[in-house]
Amino acid sequence: MRSLILLVCITFSLLASDLTLEIVKDVGNLPKIAIEASPQSLTGKIGQKFSKLLLGDLQVTSHFSANPTIGYAKLSDPIDFSRYKDVAYLLRYKLFYDDFGNLQAKAILYDTKTAQPLFQKLYRLKERERYPFIAHKIVYDLNEALHFPDVSFLKSFVIFAKYIGPKRSDIVLSDYTLTYQKTIVHGGLNIFPKWADKEQRSFYYTDMQGRPTLYKVDIYKGVRTKILSGEGMLVCSDVSEDGSKLLLTMAPNAQPDIYEYNIHTHALRRVTKYPGIDVNGNYIENETRVAFVSDRLGNPTIFAKRIGSRAVERIVYHGKNNSALNSFGHYIVYSSRETDNAFGQNTFNLYLTSTTSDYIRRLTANGVNIFPRFSSDGETVLFIKEFRRQTALGVIRLKYNKSYIFPLYTGKIQSIDW
Amino acid sequence: MKRSLWFTLFVAAFLITGCAKKSIEIEAPQGSATTQEQATEVSEGEGIKSVGEMSEESMSQEEKLRQMKMIESQAKKIYFDFDKYDIRPDQMPRVEYDAQLFNKPEAKPFGIKVEGNCDEWGTDEYNYALGLKRAKSVRDALAARGVDPKRMSIISYGESNPVCTEHTKECWAKNRRVEFELIP
Repeated sequence: MRSLILLVCITFSLLASDLTLEIVKDVGNLPKIAIEASPQSLTGKIGQKFSKLLLGDLQVTSHFSANPTIGYAKLSDPIDFSRYKDVAYLLRYKLFYDDFGNLQAKAILYDTKTAQPLFQKLYRLKERERYPFIAHKIVYDLNEALHFPDVSFLKSFVIFAKYIGPKRSDIVLSDYTLTYQKTIVHGGLNIFPKWADKEQRSFYYTDMQGRPTLYKVDIYKGVRTKILSGEGMLVCSDVSEDGSKLLLTMAPNAQPDIYEYNIHTHALRRVTKYPGIDVNGNYIENETRVAFVSDRLGNPTIFAKRIGSRAVERIVYHGKNNSALNSFGHYIVYSSRETDNAFGQNTFNLYLTSTTSDYIRRLTANGVNIFPRFSSDGETVLFIKEFRRQTALGVIRLKYNKSYIFPLYTGKIQSIDW
Repeated sequence: MKRSLWFTLFVAAFLITGCAKKSIEIEAPQGSATTQEQATEVSEGEGIKSVGEMSEESMSQEEKLRQMKMIESQAKKIYFDFDKYDIRPDQMPRVEYDAQLFNKPEAKPFGIKVEGNCDEWGTDEYNYALGLKRAKSVRDALAARGVDPKRMSIISYGESNPVCTEHTKECWAKNRRVEFELIP
């Protein structure tokens, strides 16, 4: 009996120290939610996509276990309790056009135990093309109404550059699922868009016609302002928290290095000095240090240095080629080429690491996983996955240890930010 | 003589007065007298002029462009290994050839844009930097062979400018290249 108690104690202590096992247990306990669309709701392409977006959003929050089948019922119909015995919440919606041609959606969230509405709201949109944002807002609002952890990332814009031909790429604004797409910059080779502020009102990008030139675009005024131009290469890699400083990759003498640029004083400060390649500078640790990609060891990998100091610290000690990174606080997410095949398929996996400890965690298992980008709260990572010639959008909810993949039909993406 | 002159004048006068003037009356179409329709002026196509002879200046511009394109087409592309930006030994003869080509008197008036390109395997900024370093390697090699560095500018197009879009090793190898564009 004593040995049995000891065994149980050891088992529990092991379970307690293994975070992954605890999370798996939590996932099984997620509250179930079902969706019902009104029979009077729009049924065409928008209607079908809308219900899929609602379902996808609910899953991506990682706060619900969403029933994959969409039911049909009028908003005022009584709830069929026999159907939803083990379901905690029921979301009913109706998507329709009003008399003025505006797109409207009415959403009601019910507690299936009490049949009481927990939340209801009417949404209206003038441009019907922006309908994905209604779905994202509904899920954001119901998540708030239930006091679950914040999922603001659902409402965030994504900005990306996509190739449309040789030496030609457009800058496109979209929702986080890349369903809604609006071309903001067209004509020529426009690359490396980067949000300029947390409010997502403006962004930087590089125009490659003639000399590479960095511009700032205000998306609400439609105004473009020239920031800098340079020889060979000029990319805005990161923007400081208050938006006053930029980390740039510049190559004034055909030598790519990282520079810090103050947009108020126009002062340019060289951060790295190495005759090889230093790129992709990202602020870490309250903007006191910079993490970057360098080929100092023959292959590209991740290093960090304090701004103004000469010492360089290696951050990543594995992988054949770690050529892209993104940072949040003292965390770094990076893409690592696991294979060294010059003539065939290679696997690029995403890893999460910390600059202040030896913590490291692999986030993907197969395919080519590139362009990792943290959400503004650092809890979610967005990335692009290519697997067997199919492109997908990936979302990783770091706290919940969950990953979601959605098929993507946008063509070849050059760079992405959210 | 006098009688014959009078006779001739008499015959001429008879002929003139004898041929009575015939008046021809054409019947006017019905209704035309009452309402006369206003004609619409058709001005489309009026005043079109053909472009005159080309000026000497534009002729020389065209000739310049033709010559630039001819030199560009003769230049050899420089190919690189996977993830590398140093020039392979087997590519050196091509660099020598390009240096000779750009040093020819007919090429000397033109600037040279050295463009670095990459395959699809690199991502993000690193690929653009790799393309730039490739372009720099070639620019330095050309400068060492007598091509004036002031004539040369460099740019990287990363993976944005593939010459081959198939997903094969031959294709990727073709895309890891430096090529040239002449500028006036």
